[in-house]
Amino acid sequence: MRVSCRHICHKYPGAEAPVLDHLDWSLDGPGFFSFFGLSGAGKTTLARIISGEIIPDSGAVTSHNLRILYMHNSERLPGWCNVGRHLKSVTPLHRSELLAGLLQAYGIEPVMERRFSGLSMGQKNRINLVRYLVQDFDLIIADEALANVDEPTREHILGHIKSLFPHKTFLYISHNALEVARFSQTVFILPQVAQGGIRHICRISGLNEQKGKKIPEESIQKCVFNILKAAGSGEKVQ
Amino acid sequence: MNILEGLFQFVCIYSCALLLLWTIKFIYGLSDYLIPSPGELVRIVHSDWVIYTRAVLNTLAVAIAGHILAVSMAAVIGLLGRTDSRIGHLTRTAAYNLQAYPIVAVAPIIFIFLGNGLASRLLISAMICYFPLLLSFLGIFSQPVEEVEHFFRVSGRINWKLEIAVRTFENLDKLKTVIVGSGTLAMVGTIVAEFLAATNGIGYMIRKALYQNNLARILFSLFLIGLCSSVYLSLIETLGNWTRRKLTGNGHEAGHEPELQ
Amino acid sequence: MSFLFNIISILVFTLACLFSAGCTSEDSQPPGPQIEDITGTRQPIIYRLKWLYNASVAGDIWALHSGIFRNHGLRVQLQEGGPEQDAIKDLELGRAHFGVASADQVIRAAAKGARVIVLAQIFQVNPLQWIYSGSSRVIRTPDDLKGLCIGITYGGNDETIMMALLKKHGISLDQIRLYAVHYDFNPFWKGKVDLWPVYRNTQGIVLQEKMDRGGHEAMFFDPNTHGISFVANSIITSRKIYLNNPELVKKFTRAAIEGWTDAMDPLNADQVALAVHRFAPDTPVDMISRQLDATRSLVAPEHRKKIGSVDRQAWQQTKDILVSQGLIQRPPDLETILKTPPYDMACGTGK
Repeated sequence: MRVSCRHICHKYPGAEAPVLDHLDWSLDGPGFFSFFGLSGAGKTTLARIISGEIIPDSGAVTSHNLRILYMHNSERLPGWCNVGRHLKSVTPLHRSELLAGLLQAYGIEPVMERRFSGLSMGQKNRINLVRYLVQDFDLIIADEALANVDEPTREHILGHIKSLFPHKTFLYISHNALEVARFSQTVFILPQVAQGGIRHICRISGLNEQKGKKIPEESIQKCVFNILKAAGSGEKVQ
Repeated sequence: MNILEGLFQFVCIYSCALLLLWTIKFIYGLSDYLIPSPGELVRIVHSDWVIYTRAVLNTLAVAIAGHILAVSMAAVIGLLGRTDSRIGHLTRTAAYNLQAYPIVAVAPIIFIFLGNGLASRLLISAMICYFPLLLSFLGIFSQPVEEVEHFFRVSGRINWKLEIAVRTFENLDKLKTVIVGSGTLAMVGTIVAEFLAATNGIGYMIRKALYQNNLARILFSLFLIGLCSSVYLSLIETLGNWTRRKLTGNGHEAGHEPELQ
Repeated sequence: MSFLFNIISILVFTLACLFSAGCTSEDSQPPGPQIEDITGTRQPIIYRLKWLYNASVAGDIWALHSGIFRNHGLRVQLQEGGPEQDAIKDLELGRAHFGVASADQVIRAAAKGARVIVLAQIFQVNPLQWIYSGSSRVIRTPDDLKGLCIGITYGGNDETIMMALLKKHGISLDQIRLYAVHYDFNPFWKGKVDLWPVYRNTQGIVLQEKMDRGGHEAMFFDPNTHGISFVANSIITSRKIYLNNPELVKKFTRAAIEGWTDAMDPLNADQVALAVHRFAPDTPVDMISRQLDATRSLVAPEHRKKIGSVDRQAWQQTKDILVSQGLIQRPPDLETILKTPPYDMACGTGK
């Protein structure tokens, strides 16, 4: 699985400077990858360009007909039916078992009879993630998809996804350096640019934590430090 | 607002207006020809209440039918006009142009083709109240609800019916407000039609009373119109709230507090 | 309860304003030109007509246009009438000083306590008649109406007149068919309705010409010739002006009657038609001329009295009709309403 961007330029109407300026980037899956950067760095813009939701001003995205799903944390379920009915209606028949397993693993089963609007933010995030996971996909871009979920649950979910979908690709967008350092195979860092748009993206190898394998504290701290430094300066740190 | 509260408020306002009118009559010594005396009003109410009540109920029935027709017309035109296609532009232009003509100018054409019976009253009533509905429908149908539609779009499930369902559901409160508001216009439209050319309804009774310079009858008609409008609007509002509760399942949710994180 | 409190507060405030306005004024006059002003040169005399400018107000237009009002020392401002205008209400509210109203309006208003005075009766014959096609029938007597479909405006004068005629001639409602008339003439053109109510001197002329062009002979059914004298337009003023400004009333009445007398003089026909055309430019002059010819026979019929004379018998019959149809509750005393116009001047169809 390969997605690549070539000479991507994009500027929002009314903005003074472009967000992306002749950016070249590529991703080779499968695996768990992350976008990391400070707020406004351009993570969501790039993610939406990759998924085809935004057409860049210039440049091209090559994805070879891959099925890319972009999801974000402010999505809602329609309010006219309960969570269970909705999830059932959007799950292909052959994935019913997968759905049942995910509901149980993510603690959503007790709220199946309730409406989405009456749930907590964390429950909403989990339910939204589940309905994407039961679709046909090659790459899921999860844009702060678990932002409102508590840390232990989030760790559990990320670990579970990695073990359940070893042949799929995930591009996880987060502001949590510790999380991306631990779980990602590679962290793509969109640096803060003083003037103009992003021209290059730094790559830092993540710790790619697997379920049941403990990573030494020291390695984690070092990786987090590198990530934060790169996000601030735009330089790759070894 | 429940029905009784609406009625009570209307009766208060009407009584105040009447009191004001009689105060003016008293201060300036105006004759009963200009402003009827309380005695004359009572006499008219006593002698005419059956025929006038029947007339206003007739008007209300037509107004309700016209209102339903207007909501249907606005929904259909809204569906056609919501797109950026040529048909969408044409539909919007035609709908806006039609509204630019005052109904009293269009009415004679309607009466020529449909006569002065029920069909004309219905159509005029619907035409007067459909425009605010149309604007709302166009706005609602053409405005994506990105947070809900996004999943359906990326998963390839979106179609126009689902889009309309999502957008309608997400704007239920706005729709309820505009439908309730246009209920008044439906009543006004029916009365205008009756005033212009019908031979039934309270508008027709008002026209006859005007010919006879009988302001007492007009005041009584206004009271009945206000009464009916208040009841009707309260009913639609109640119905709207009930529908909303049913659709959103708020009643079902009662007692379930979301967990805090 | 706060809603009720707000309503009561607004009402109390409004009443307080009204009372203070009422107490500060020297006289309890409604808003509008005050009675003292109208004899001065600055304030014009407001004359509210019954209907839109057309041949039915030719005398009033001519009195203004030819300077008759001015020659009598009056600065008059004509105000067009219409379906929503009521001269009696304007008089009572002080918005007009003189006006034109139909007899039924005057009697209804007087029955409800309006203090109105009739100064002169413009139409000696009511112009409200029924047009029909003479090609298919001739209606000589009311009995000929049996079996026909007759257009009436429910609540209008034509309903009152037709009901009175039917009653007088012993024709019951099941012997005829009634059709509710609106502004759309199609039911008449299509033959759905046999008789259609029109003002003989205005609409009647227009329809007559259309029928002529369509090969139909237009004929008119006139209730006046069958014993129904229902008085039409008269010049009126308020009792207050009549009592407080007798000279003004006299001058105005003389001027108005002189205007009508001159306007109905066949020698002035062309000039009067042009004057009316200036006020009603949509109507061609030759049409106005024909309408004036028809108006002449209604305002100054050869066998009747002088122009402006009040036909007391006809007024009495009009009142009786209104009473018999339950349209008024307390019949007014006509003697307090009808005042003979001043005849110390040349009146009649010629000078």
